[in-house]
Amino acid sequence: MRTIDGVRRSGVGIAPDRTITEAAKIMEVAAVGSLAVVDGEELVGIVTDRDLVRRGLAARLSPEARVDSVMSTPVVTIDAAADLHGAFTLFRTHAVRRVAVVRDGRFVGMITIDDLLIDLAADLADLARPVTAEVLFGHHDAPVPAVG
Amino acid sequence: MQATVGDRIVIRGHRVGEPDRDCKILEVHGQDGGPPYVVQWEDSEHESLFFPGSDASVVHYEKSSG
Repeated sequence: MRTIDGVRRSGVGIAPDRTITEAAKIMEVAAVGSLAVVDGEELVGIVTDRDLVRRGLAARLSPEARVDSVMSTPVVTIDAAADLHGAFTLFRTHAVRRVAVVRDGRFVGMITIDDLLIDLAADLADLARPVTAEVLFGHHDAPVPAVG
Repeated sequence: MQATVGDRIVIRGHRVGEPDRDCKILEVHGQDGGPPYVVQWEDSEHESLFFPGSDASVVHYEKSSG
């Protein structure tokens, strides 16, 4: 499966010179936990709700502080056409919860650990169903044909 | 996705009880009506870039005739 096929949610972006207050408002109205920070066509960072709290609010930054003062950079990215399992490796090696998906170097979406876990949980449930059914309802043997 | 200025995008909710989100396209930055878009979010003056995923669908704007 390609990485882009594993992306479940639309991506939302913001320019680096916007304020952290605007970033928070956009996260609220768009119902997202992170924004891609895009300067023209270039992905320059990611800002998350956690960044706003830790690097903004806890650091007592002004509400007018720029987004690029709290964003995470450089960005961990994966190509949209790459195998989805490549994202698993990135999550493990970089200890991040989100990876930016790019095509021709441009941001096209975000893939998150939460989305992958939901898909995996659904697959595991499908595999567990026949096993639990056998435990609960017993094994149905085919009738032995009569001989003779 | 292909869209023009004035179209709306509806993003379905992802959690039980989460409402759909709605935004209006102000600018089209991709080729041939493709993304990304600059959008204005419903019931707010806030604008952002938008990169549609499988959870988004476009509602095309139709000019009234007459």
